[in-house]
Amino acid sequence: MTILGTAFGMVFYLLQVVSGESGYAQNGDLEDAELDDYSFSCYSQLEVNGSHHSLTCAFDDPDINSTNLDLEICGALLEINCLNFSKLQEVYYIKTKKFLLIGNSEICVKLGEKSITCKKMNIVKIVKPEAPFNVSVIYREGANDFVVTFNTSHLQKKYVKNLMHDVAYRQEKDENNWMHVNLSGTKLTLLQRKLQDDAMYEIKVRSIPYSSDYFEGFWSEWSPSYHFRTPETKRAEMDPVLLTISISSFFSVALLVILACVLWKRRIKPIVWPSLPDHKKTLEQLCKKPRKNLNVSFNPESFLDCQIHKVDGIQSRDEMEGFLQESFPPQPEESEKQRLGGSVQGPNWSPEHTVITPETFRGESPLECPAGNGSACDATILPSPRSPENGKNGPHVYQGLLLSPGTTNNILPPPFPLQSGILTLTPVAQGQPILTSLGPSPEEAYVTMSSFYQNQ
Amino acid sequence: MFHVSFRYIFGIPPLILVLLPVASSDCDIEGQDGKEYESVLMISIDELLDSMKEIGSNCLNNESNFFKKHLCDDNKEGTFLYRAARKLKQFRKMNNSDDFDHHLSMVSQGTLKLLSCASKVKGRKSPPLSEAQPTKNLEENKSLKEQKKQNGLCFLKRLIQKIKTCWNKILRGTKEH
Repeated sequence: MTILGTAFGMVFYLLQVVSGESGYAQNGDLEDAELDDYSFSCYSQLEVNGSHHSLTCAFDDPDINSTNLDLEICGALLEINCLNFSKLQEVYYIKTKKFLLIGNSEICVKLGEKSITCKKMNIVKIVKPEAPFNVSVIYREGANDFVVTFNTSHLQKKYVKNLMHDVAYRQEKDENNWMHVNLSGTKLTLLQRKLQDDAMYEIKVRSIPYSSDYFEGFWSEWSPSYHFRTPETKRAEMDPVLLTISISSFFSVALLVILACVLWKRRIKPIVWPSLPDHKKTLEQLCKKPRKNLNVSFNPESFLDCQIHKVDGIQSRDEMEGFLQESFPPQPEESEKQRLGGSVQGPNWSPEHTVITPETFRGESPLECPAGNGSACDATILPSPRSPENGKNGPHVYQGLLLSPGTTNNILPPPFPLQSGILTLTPVAQGQPILTSLGPSPEEAYVTMSSFYQNQ
Repeated sequence: MFHVSFRYIFGIPPLILVLLPVASSDCDIEGQDGKEYESVLMISIDELLDSMKEIGSNCLNNESNFFKKHLCDDNKEGTFLYRAARKLKQFRKMNNSDDFDHHLSMVSQGTLKLLSCASKVKGRKSPPLSEAQPTKNLEENKSLKEQKKQNGLCFLKRLIQKIKTCWNKILRGTKEH
């Protein structure tokens, strides 16, 4: 038993040693390491030189000793089975027309005649387009944008025609802050408002085969960069004519405002918001200007009694009779002062009455008045004819009463004809004015000038 | 009764087995989505037809025996393309330009690459383009050669057109399905 066990142990030990020598090391597989060392990658470029295509391969590990290593491609070739790569420094390449472009090929790393590692590849799936060129940027002042254009050789190619382009731009001071725009055409518009003013920009383009196309692959190399400067933003330069018009209109408006403010009180407001005329001034305008010696005052304190002398007879009786028929009987119920100076009465008078009766006009016109109101008494008083509506024995309203003989008053109806004769005046008592009181009739409302003061 | 069952067992199934290959296609076609044809083959076909624009006016109207024998029938498109592509190969290196030969190769080999045909189809050898005829003198030989060349180009043009038509038929059928 012991001998048997020992024999088995030795056999197992020998097996382990043998397997170790064969390369099955615990540190790693040599064969796997060799495969990793010889990994490579390739890309193709179609119609790079007329109708010739190129295929470029390189080892992923730059430290690999590729002195005795060759690459060979087999399959998907026209009229031949395999092609050998040419070598330029550490890069392997082929330039040929004999790619079928249909189906897979096999690329092998060969050490002499022995293939170390092989990789299946499809030439049309590892296409790397040529880099775009002639990138230019044009500023359009009217549109406030930048038009970016570039060219690519694939526009004239038969196979790889559809590409996706990547336009990248950045401000030169902003490193690594690239903005990207994808497009399928060769023209791009950048808005000025999306760029900084008065800044230097760098722009470049690269391409890749369209993903939905038969051909696929990698990004091309970047095109040469193009540098451009964005303009300064000026305040919108206005047309000179427009500028002149706007300035002149501004000044016109300012002038209008100033004039409006200055003339507001004197000219504009009375038109826009007319005020009620002052009755004193209106009356002064309507009435005759008194004579120089006439001292007219509407101050109620200056109102004095005016003596009225009764006139006994009038020469022209016919007219008088007519007048008397129209006259109203005097109303002596209330004693009030009667004024010849006008219808304005003192503040003590009631607002409804006017006091002159036709009878007072009998006799001579000159009337005696107190000295203070002499000028007022010289004036003739023209009563208005009795209104047919006033069938009552109410006093008349005399308005606008202070008139000179030469004054015509269109408002007042023509007075009863003053007699060419003489009004005889029979003074009842010198210095004793007749005061006729005319009380306000309840039926009629009279507004006299004095009532303004009372209302005030 | 025994004779009837015997007939059904041993008669009909062999008949089916014999007829099945006739009805089925001999060749499977890859790339029926049209990507290979539109991106690669059609480019070479158009290039060939463009370079043969002048040819056709002098061509005879009689159909070649090849086209009488091989048609792009339903379920036979693959076989026709196989035969046509192999025929196309024979026109290479007939004093054509490099580009012309290149495109001929692209069409023929590209088509063959997309076809997976049964061995019996592959086994048939296409007849040679023409048989040598005895000539009497040099001038007659020369004119015959030119005539042959002209006939060959006419046939080639017709062949390329047939290939294009057959491919379009295949892709149309694929899109309809």
